[in-house]
Amino acid sequence: MSKKRSIATEKSNARRAAERAAAIRKEQEAKERRRRTLTVTVVVLVVLTVLLGIGYAVQSSRDTTGQVATPPDGVVEKYAFPFGDPTAPVKVAVYEDFMCPFCGQFEAVSKDMLERYVDQGDVEVRYHVISFLDGSSNTDYSTRAANAAGVVLDTTGPEAAKKFHDLLYANQPEEGSDGLSDDQLIEFAVEAGAQESDVRQPIEDLKFEQWVKNATEESSKQDVATTPTVMVDGESVDFETLDDLLASTTDAIESALNN
Amino acid sequence: MVSTDTLPALRRFLPWVGVAARLIVGGVWIAAGLLKIPDPAENVRAVRAYQLLPESIVPTIGHLLPILEVLLGLCLVLGLLTRLNGVVSSLLLLAFIVGISSAWGRGLSIECGCFGGGGGPAEGAKEKYPWELARDFGLLFLSVWLIWRPRTPWSLDNRLLVQ
Repeated sequence: MSKKRSIATEKSNARRAAERAAAIRKEQEAKERRRRTLTVTVVVLVVLTVLLGIGYAVQSSRDTTGQVATPPDGVVEKYAFPFGDPTAPVKVAVYEDFMCPFCGQFEAVSKDMLERYVDQGDVEVRYHVISFLDGSSNTDYSTRAANAAGVVLDTTGPEAAKKFHDLLYANQPEEGSDGLSDDQLIEFAVEAGAQESDVRQPIEDLKFEQWVKNATEESSKQDVATTPTVMVDGESVDFETLDDLLASTTDAIESALNN
Repeated sequence: MVSTDTLPALRRFLPWVGVAARLIVGGVWIAAGLLKIPDPAENVRAVRAYQLLPESIVPTIGHLLPILEVLLGLCLVLGLLTRLNGVVSSLLLLAFIVGISSAWGRGLSIECGCFGGGGGPAEGAKEKYPWELARDFGLLFLSVWLIWRPRTPWSLDNRLLVQ
């Protein structure tokens, strides 16, 4: 009897030992898995962080906004083209991109209205020409056109710049096209009254490129998220459609004049 | 009885949902990031247009986001640290959903800037908000799926992390 019992005890002891060993092995394997998961995670995260840091540094260095730029002679408020009597009681700021089709339509319908107020000496318009639609042409037309307008202002003065601005909208290229060539820009500049010898070089060399970038950045800081944006005495005019914009702008000018 | 046959079939099928989720979400992140990389100044303006973050961190976010999106997308496509990247993906999408809803709620008319652009002419932007939100919710669902079931076939995790 005792012999039998001891065999049974031995068997169960052996089984228990085996189970314990298996449990320990299992736990060690689990530990090993956790260790490996942790190592892989840490290594991958370190690599990703380094890549993220490099990418961030590259992107920051490619963004030149805010670097010092020479503005064209004759700008007001650092970035605007003046049109009209500087002592006029109401200031209308118009933010636009030469490539933006809606700006072209706005120019077509608002030109007479704004010019009438300017002629009466009631309004000074300040055109903030910005460039965020370089992706809409194959030749960075937004930047080239804005630069060219700066060149005309710089060399020939505000009246020529306004004429040049009107000519570019009257001959606005389609979105997705090559835009107007530098030679065409120079032709329009000459038509607006500039000397070709004065404007060719700075138009071709993008003399005011950095200034255009800064003007664009500044407009975004003024919460200009759409073009055209019209501000009457610093108040942005709300609109849904072009007719809204025209009517609301006229209303805003009228109420500013009556105050 | 259905269960005896369908359960194993479902078990075989589910991991492939994860593969699809990885490829779709990862592919979208890669595309979104790559389209933003060419114009860092534009990204900064697109971030600013939401008028949610303080100006002091707007440029940093604008420069960092496209790189983060590409890396996140690559990790998901390769199946590398899938669960963790599912978490990052979900958090980013939640942030975008909050951003777009809040722009919509405040009546802002801005471009989402999700795939580059932004700070551009936002004609009809308001009509696009619901679609952008629907897309982000769809991607969020797939990202959460990857948190729930991170182990999928064809993934680096299967090689690097022992089962």
